[in-house]
Amino acid sequence: MDAYVEKDAADADGDRPAPPADPLTGAPGTSSPIPPADRANTGIMALSLPYQVVLAVALAVVGVFACLHLAMVFLHVAPSNTLTKQHGQAVDDWVYPEFEQNWKLFAPNPLQQNISVEVRAELAVPDGARRTTGWIDLTAQDIEAIRHNPMPSHAQQNELRRAVDFYLNSHSDDDTPSGLRGRLSEEYMRRIAMLRLDALPVLAGPDGRALTGEVRRVQLRAVTRAVPPPRWSSEKIDTAPSYRDLPWWPVTDADRPTGSDRSRTEAGR
Amino acid sequence: MSTPAPLGDAAPMSDPVPPLGDAAKPMGGPGTRARDREPLDRRFARAVQTVTGRSLGPYQTAIVRIGFSLTWLLFLLRELPFRHELYGPDGPWSWEMARRLIADNRAFTVLMWSDGRLWFELVYGIAVLSAVLLLVGWRTRAVSVVFMVGVLSLQNRSVFVGDGGDNVLHLAALYLVLTRCSQVWSLDARRAAREARAARAGEPPRQDRVGPLLWIVLGGFLLATTWFSEVTGEWWLPVLLWVLWLGNGLWWLVRRYAAEEPRTLLDALANLAHNAALVVIMAEVCLIYATAGWYKIQGSRWQDGTALFYPLNLDYFTPWPALSELLGTSGVMVMVLTYGTVIVQVAFPFTLFHRKVKNVLLVAMMLEHAGIAVLLGLPVFSLAMISADAVFLPTPFLVALGAWVVRGRDRLLGRPPAGTLPEQRLTGEEHGPRTLVG
Repeated sequence: MDAYVEKDAADADGDRPAPPADPLTGAPGTSSPIPPADRANTGIMALSLPYQVVLAVALAVVGVFACLHLAMVFLHVAPSNTLTKQHGQAVDDWVYPEFEQNWKLFAPNPLQQNISVEVRAELAVPDGARRTTGWIDLTAQDIEAIRHNPMPSHAQQNELRRAVDFYLNSHSDDDTPSGLRGRLSEEYMRRIAMLRLDALPVLAGPDGRALTGEVRRVQLRAVTRAVPPPRWSSEKIDTAPSYRDLPWWPVTDADRPTGSDRSRTEAGR
Repeated sequence: MSTPAPLGDAAPMSDPVPPLGDAAKPMGGPGTRARDREPLDRRFARAVQTVTGRSLGPYQTAIVRIGFSLTWLLFLLRELPFRHELYGPDGPWSWEMARRLIADNRAFTVLMWSDGRLWFELVYGIAVLSAVLLLVGWRTRAVSVVFMVGVLSLQNRSVFVGDGGDNVLHLAALYLVLTRCSQVWSLDARRAAREARAARAGEPPRQDRVGPLLWIVLGGFLLATTWFSEVTGEWWLPVLLWVLWLGNGLWWLVRRYAAEEPRTLLDALANLAHNAALVVIMAEVCLIYATAGWYKIQGSRWQDGTALFYPLNLDYFTPWPALSELLGTSGVMVMVLTYGTVIVQVAFPFTLFHRKVKNVLLVAMMLEHAGIAVLLGLPVFSLAMISADAVFLPTPFLVALGAWVVRGRDRLLGRPPAGTLPEQRLTGEEHGPRTLVG
């Protein structure tokens, strides 16, 4: 890094402007030039010995700390290796939660499937019976909001997409939650689904007839469709959708959005 | 790590600091060749003097400050209609769920202090305000801390709505607190210059009431942070905030009452923290590209040159399907861009040793991110990445950029071009090569 600074410095010499007097404008001005280092009025050279000792100690501490921090971050982003197998806990303790980072952007391979989330609800209709709605594609709502939108919201682009990712990562294949995160992700999915259902003007059965009543249970499913290979490729990929049905979940009051201001408004999309 | 520095003050020297270039320049020596022959101990002494005597990269840290505060401001304004859904107490990721997760991961967010609706609106409002103030560089030492608290509070409240852009902003907000990022292009710097002019003219220094007032208000906030440290945040965060707060108070006292030496010492410590943070920011950017590049090399799609095709066909990242389709039709085009991305990302950290190549790659990366902003519908992510890249922009370019912006501003406000600020025009024309590689 120091090498970079010096490189830039050397090149900058030729046309470096005078020290700016009005730094807001970056213009040079009437200020006197910086005094040469021999007569330094800043830094370690301007200090007497006791102060120099204090500063030298601080320099050592800051230097070691910065190197240690960068080493920890490096080990955090590096693949599992000899050091992290032995001291992984120390790295995690240092990095989490505030310095966590993941730069495997579209790596090692970009996602090659479109995953959409669909929901259906079981309603208690006025005559006392239970009726089930058809599948409602929640991801399609997001996609519609993103189309021709130069600045999509995190609520459209990340919320559901990452929620289902979170769910799949914190559950086994038979939908057993793993620990706190697994249970939280179920609640999160349910609350997102209820929020979206609440915003719909009408819920309809599979036959298209409108249903009225309170939602008692919901079921979600993840539909995965592979992106067809590019035209110039000879690869054969099965693009038929595959379904993963999540269990029916009872809806409690804690899952229902309260107040109308919380439902996503068309105006905001 | 202590960073004693004035509340929002720029460089405490009487003159604003010169650009990065000066710092590493051999002082009085004819050139680099002379320095090579210099004994090791003298070179070491000079290096120590450099990192304690100056806050390096004043233009680079300023552009990073401006970039990230603008990113966060645009994001917060864009999410205004969605703020309750994303971060509010009754959003899908409810306050209670956040409390359970944070009890486990110990992330810091002041939103855990109360589940009240009003508190949420207040925090969101302060986050917007801090972004505006950091953008213009008002009392940066204090405001950068408020900015960090705002970023951490909202992001940690709902960790599952973020993406890579949020991640890089989160880190930058933490590191910026330790830098003197308002040495140029800021209200702080303008105030410092005004005070310096007044001092030279022999005028008595004006009483500063805002600084101490801000300090006292933030002291109250600090007490609250300490009070709630059981609820949210790891132990080091309140410690860092206390050190910053006490450091600022100490700096104020020392500037007023103490002799020359303690002041120089505190100034040197602030320089030290700034320079260390600057190195860490630069290293972080290198780590980002190294990780992104080296993991890609291992992927079969990046190897066969089709990787770029797939994001262009993901529903969540195709705001302009016709455009994505168009780019995805040419196999050769896709492969060139796919390979180019990997090459640039892997190569970037190594090109830092060669200024011109570094600048070319920097332009390539910024252009790629600008493309991603439109094509994949990720403008906030892209702006955050460009802001991080900006730490490597060369000083002459940044100076020229500053002069160009000033000219534009003057023209817009209808100010006389050469009347009030004649020197500025001179800068732009004499010292300002317009090209990155200039």
